[in-house]
Amino acid sequence: MISLVWLRDGLASALGYLWSGWGAITSLLLFCALWEFGGQVYGDLVLPGPVATLRQLSAMFESGAALPELAISTRRALYGLGLALAAGTVLGLVAGRSMTAAMVSRPLVTLLLGMPPIAWLVLAMLWFGMGDATPVFTVFVACFPIAFAGAMQGSRTVDNKLRDMALSYRLPWWMMVTDVHLPHVTSYLFPAWITALGTSWKVVVMAELLTTVDGVGAALAVSRTQLDTATSLGWIVAVLGLLLALEYLFLEPVKRRVERWRTEAPR
Amino acid sequence: MSALHIRHLCHRYGLTEVLADVSLDLSAGETLALVGPSGCGKSTLLHVVAGLLTPSEAEMQSTFRNLSCVFQEPRLMPWKTALDNIALGLKALRMPRPARRRQAAELGVRMGLSMDDLAKFPHELSGGMQSRVSLARALAPRPDLLLLDEPFSALDIGLKAELYRLLTEQVSRYDTAVLMITHDLMEAVRLADRILMMVPEPGRLVREFVLETPQEQRSSTWLYQTTAELVMQDEVRIGFGLAEGEIPLAGPQEHARHAGCAI
Repeated sequence: MISLVWLRDGLASALGYLWSGWGAITSLLLFCALWEFGGQVYGDLVLPGPVATLRQLSAMFESGAALPELAISTRRALYGLGLALAAGTVLGLVAGRSMTAAMVSRPLVTLLLGMPPIAWLVLAMLWFGMGDATPVFTVFVACFPIAFAGAMQGSRTVDNKLRDMALSYRLPWWMMVTDVHLPHVTSYLFPAWITALGTSWKVVVMAELLTTVDGVGAALAVSRTQLDTATSLGWIVAVLGLLLALEYLFLEPVKRRVERWRTEAPR
Repeated sequence: MSALHIRHLCHRYGLTEVLADVSLDLSAGETLALVGPSGCGKSTLLHVVAGLLTPSEAEMQSTFRNLSCVFQEPRLMPWKTALDNIALGLKALRMPRPARRRQAAELGVRMGLSMDDLAKFPHELSGGMQSRVSLARALAPRPDLLLLDEPFSALDIGLKAELYRLLTEQVSRYDTAVLMITHDLMEAVRLADRILMMVPEPGRLVREFVLETPQEQRSSTWLYQTTAELVMQDEVRIGFGLAEGEIPLAGPQEHARHAGCAI
């Protein structure tokens, strides 16, 4: 009986999610309309419209040029992001448990967040040369403080009354983690992770543009030298498409699933 | 038989003495009510018994093995359904999931919650429903010591009466000891076997009243009369600020007997 109720609620929320996609699609199409208008005003050389860009992109996929570069960039972004999320989240949670650690790390986080990724990139080029390590490191450094700050904030704001309640029921330590801390912390982690995801893509393309010979960034550098605006826009659209897909097909549904206790049920 | 003995309990927050030389005994099947004005250290005392606070000095001995708390606010986990909230204590006892959910559902239904309510998250429930869930959560692991921190203070009379009934039923069935805080004297008279009067600055026990009338013989008339008589006591009047006067710091603790109406 209970599982039936849950099945019904689950189905309703999945449909609701899909339905809410119309709003997003509408705003994206509006943006495309503006873009098309701009394209018609300035001409194909300066600003190819969305149709021309998509045609160019599909040609790039058909020729087999796009996929390997996208795979390389994705790999670098996800390596850096994965490392940053793992290290930042764990350290942030630990730091949030101790007043001293939180006080010590706050200015450091501000410092790291304020440091422009391009500065890190220069340092990384000096340290790691022109290989894979440079973009991965730059992504890591750019995303780490975001995850760290989110996790620390989450673990600092765990409700003491709930903690006391849990302690009075003699919950074992693993239940304190899974039933008290994690559900609360998650609501701080997800927004931070989504921000970090966006940052990782921006930074990886920038790092590749300046340092490597492969990946989307490097391909962008080539299309720039050839004054090929359509190809440049094609790459940009491909990267944005990947980012949107990761966020809305993976992170957002996961977030909705773990935070369904927040949504108001229809009465 | 399980029992709790506390002797010479003192506690200080910084320089402020919040509990001074508190001693009390509680044995299985007994209901003890702590009454007193706000800030007299009742909650601190309860936190000490719950093990959430280490007192500055105390001799404590407890043979209760399994204690549950009901707090003033429901304190439900917002991310768990009502059912999983009730099952929390059972999960801590490592009862397998199907068994603990079945047991929690049974208890929830007995508390007047429907299966539909049990599948809801706390913010979708009314205040009264949340209180039921909170009480059910405390009763689910069949505690031998139940600590109640004014859990009924924000509820309407009808709901109060219903929860009183559920509580006394459970207590007599499993011989649970109850230590409850309240500033509602009538509630104390209704539920308790003994009432301890506390006064602040520093928090201490000044008087103990024993109610010998069994639960089932406590009629409304008896309740009103006994409460009225309780309010007439000097310690109660002074303690709650109804009368001027001083309560001696270390007076001998006398025991007033409450057999029928006569004190």
